[in-house]
Amino acid sequence: MNPSLLFSQILNGIVTGMLYALMGIGLSIITGILNIPNFAHGALFALGAYLIYTVIQALGNFWLALAVAPLGVALLGLLIEYAGIRPLYRAGHDYQLLLTFGLSLIITEGIIVVWGPIGMSQLPPALLRGGVDLGITIYPKYRLFVMAMAGLLVLGAWLFLEKTRYGAIMRAGIEDKEMVSLLGIDIHRLFTAAFGLGAYLAGISGALTAPIRGLNPLMGVDMLGIAFVVVALGGLGNLPGAIVAGLMIGVAQSLVALVWPEASVAVIFAVMAAVLLVRPQGLFGIR
Amino acid sequence: MSGLRRRDFLKLGAAGAASALGVPARGGAQANEVVMLGLWSFTGAFADVGPILDRGMRMALEERGMKAQGKPIKYVTRDDETKAGSATRRAEEAVDGEAVKYIIGPWSSGVALAVSEVAKRKKVLHYFSGGTEDISGARCHRYSFQWAASPYTAAKTVVDTFMKANPRAKRWHLLVADYAFGWSVEKYVKEVGKTHGIEFVGADRHPLGEREFSNYVTKAAGNKPDVVAMVNFGLDTVTAAREIFNFGLTPKIPLILTWSSGVEELVQLSPEMRENMWVGSNFYYTADTPVAKEFVKNYQAKFGNPPGYAPAAAYGMTRMVLHGMDRARSTDHVDVIKALEGIEVEDLVGKMRVDAKTHQTLRPYFFMRCKKKDAMQHPTDFADIVATGSTPLPPEYSACKDIGSL
Amino acid sequence: MSRAWIAILAAVVLLPMLVRHAIATEIWIFAIFGLGLNLLLGYTGLLSFGQATFFGSAAYVGGYLLKHGGVNVLLVLALGIVVGAVSAAAVGYLCVQRSGLYFIMLTFALNQMFYFTAYQWTSVTGGEDGMPGIPRPAFLGLRLSEPLAYYVFVAACFVIALGIMKRVVESPLGKILQAIRENEVRAQAIGYDARRFKLLAFVIGGAFSGLAGVLYAMLFGIVPLEAIGFVFSGNVVFGTLIGGSGSLYGPVIGAFVFIWLSESVSVIWQRWPLLLGVAFVIVVLFFRGGLVEAWDRLATWWSVRRLRGVAET
Repeated sequence: MNPSLLFSQILNGIVTGMLYALMGIGLSIITGILNIPNFAHGALFALGAYLIYTVIQALGNFWLALAVAPLGVALLGLLIEYAGIRPLYRAGHDYQLLLTFGLSLIITEGIIVVWGPIGMSQLPPALLRGGVDLGITIYPKYRLFVMAMAGLLVLGAWLFLEKTRYGAIMRAGIEDKEMVSLLGIDIHRLFTAAFGLGAYLAGISGALTAPIRGLNPLMGVDMLGIAFVVVALGGLGNLPGAIVAGLMIGVAQSLVALVWPEASVAVIFAVMAAVLLVRPQGLFGIR
Repeated sequence: MSGLRRRDFLKLGAAGAASALGVPARGGAQANEVVMLGLWSFTGAFADVGPILDRGMRMALEERGMKAQGKPIKYVTRDDETKAGSATRRAEEAVDGEAVKYIIGPWSSGVALAVSEVAKRKKVLHYFSGGTEDISGARCHRYSFQWAASPYTAAKTVVDTFMKANPRAKRWHLLVADYAFGWSVEKYVKEVGKTHGIEFVGADRHPLGEREFSNYVTKAAGNKPDVVAMVNFGLDTVTAAREIFNFGLTPKIPLILTWSSGVEELVQLSPEMRENMWVGSNFYYTADTPVAKEFVKNYQAKFGNPPGYAPAAAYGMTRMVLHGMDRARSTDHVDVIKALEGIEVEDLVGKMRVDAKTHQTLRPYFFMRCKKKDAMQHPTDFADIVATGSTPLPPEYSACKDIGSL
Repeated sequence: MSRAWIAILAAVVLLPMLVRHAIATEIWIFAIFGLGLNLLLGYTGLLSFGQATFFGSAAYVGGYLLKHGGVNVLLVLALGIVVGAVSAAAVGYLCVQRSGLYFIMLTFALNQMFYFTAYQWTSVTGGEDGMPGIPRPAFLGLRLSEPLAYYVFVAACFVIALGIMKRVVESPLGKILQAIRENEVRAQAIGYDARRFKLLAFVIGGAFSGLAGVLYAMLFGIVPLEAIGFVFSGNVVFGTLIGGSGSLYGPVIGAFVFIWLSESVSVIWQRWPLLLGVAFVIVVLFFRGGLVEAWDRLATWWSVRRLRGVAET
């Protein structure tokens, strides 16, 4: 097989894998800390893409928009947690699921009402258009940027969780919520912050994806399924697990596209089923 | 607090009771009314085209003052959700509950095949426009009609015209949506391609609804083709074309959209992405026919932007049904079916004839070349029509051997 | 006969006079589907987000047999039930190893796997186009191709299914499942192998889904791809929750409300899922416990008010 093709294919897999990982980490934080299934995660992803588009239209600056748009999604996340999810912590997963699914319908349909049902394109910023010669192949600059940016975000999330006081509280929240509240920490504030952070990561994944896949109201649906697979594979609240799982799916998808393209979507779920058969707790899950 | 809940609950209950009674078991149509159903996708994968399909059909009916043969036309719509199951049950519901005798739509081929079964079972007229060959082929019957050109007509128009303009572009890479529509167009593109000595250096099939096209694009680039030709539709086409541009294939090498919805897809791409793109479609708004000119003028006046294939097809199909009524001098749908078989009219896209043996509408197909950004005179000045072609499917290829009886 | 049964039988008789036969039939099919889910959701406390796996598998097998074999309807129904139960046993075996959110995600992801298998296996399932042309052969002289006859047939299936489910939940098995829901550790300590009972609940639930799946395939003469998709799995969960998962009759009421809601709202406004989403949020925030509980609350409030009225005079 042509080595440059193989190389580009793996690169493709890494770029999409990093985006999957970002989505997965956001969902993993929400799921791990709040212990709720967030079916609105895909809709938040789509909202991130639409917000960056609108901010770019308004301000004409990609970088500013990339900073602002995910914050808008995070803000909505805070609101959702405060008004919707907080009354439901004791209500059981079924009602939490019903609520988040209802919210995802509302957000998706809201996007159609506000931005219209027809998809749109967003060009990468001028600086990142075109390709760069990597010696072995020519690769689009913007995709390399996404890879680096996603890497930085993952690193940032890791540093935040491992090295800061807030991060330590969050990790403790994943392990043992009662202990955290016994220590006098306001568990509700922790929950709100965690949902906001998860929503932020979904929003920025959407914003980064916009120039690659464009925008359409249903863009979050596929991503939701993938995010769930990443979490199931990587283990709840497990950051390195989410990264490995995201990359694994991304690369598996692109390699399968090389030899058996018809199965490139099914492979995501096949990988998951195979791993869970061997390790039901996920790659790195302990619980 | 409990007062508020109670009130909400009562309201919900009252609305429920009212609405349950509002859905009667038997049809509410008046005796002399002609009831036509527009079965469109307002939700699901084709949610973006439902509203504009609705516009097209409405315009065709309003032009006639919502009347046919002196009888009032009642236009009802249903959401097919781009799902075969929902479309089937809503179509049945409309036929039983609203006394619908004419179904136009839906937009998705797979969904339409399911609806065609309903039309056959319920014995109502069904007009459809889309990529599947089966409606006028393997699963043909007397109640369903196909408005879109045969995939053969499309492939012939696209390949012949493109090769005439680019005789040396012999290395083609195909990217095909992996379902019946994709396979049949692919088959004809390859067949017509042979007559031009085209070498197909690669042919990848992608799942319907694929969103990650980078993998297919690097593969295509690896084959070093002179041309990339796609056989897919809607969002798949748009997402793939965007990635082909992002990876720098276009505008260096031409990209052909073999079966495109034209405006609806082109508007989703930036002008940069459209450079060196060649587009085959069942309609383009600069079509040079009196009916098209009038339609485009009115549509633009009403909605501000030009119509693409979707509203044009809804408009065109409705017009064909109305022509059928004119010819039959009747609004009885069985008379109209008989009148449509073999009908010949000068309509939206030019000369149109319905083949009585297959219910295929024989008609021209359009091939366009997109304009460069600086050549565009206004934001929707996407392309020029390079050619039209109307070579029908050779009868020996037709899978509709016996269309059956009424 | 209890009041609930009188109400159910009255609904069976009245429904086809109020709504179209096809919709009325679909409501009872959806109710059978919901009964199966609720054994898991309401009685065992397992939120399965993959019930369409069993529903769809049975629909495909049943549809295929009816289309190609000209087999007896009853035999096809029986086979559908078996397919539902067997596929549920396979999926359930994997899923009951885990609990909580993992369990939900596993059922969802395995559902996706079945979905993509059906999607790719076009020679049998028709893939995206669905499997059309499924006949409704006559049964004991009943011409099922007539909408009303088929309604009667499905309603009878539903009444039998409801009776069986009532027996199941009132049996010792039902009590054990509820014990597992309330406190799995304790149930385990008393000596019940919780996993085995969960699996059993899965198999019974799968059998009900299988029955519903075959009936659905015959209803519109097609098995659409979405019959095995996760949205279908979600719909039955939502329907059951709206009705109320705490009672045997919750899913029945939920089926009625859910089918009716999505049918009537979709005619009113093109953006109807928005209204559906709002309805979900309202149910969750104000009517947890579903309509069954809301009705109870209303009844309690009403009798308290009357009592108060009596006291004041």
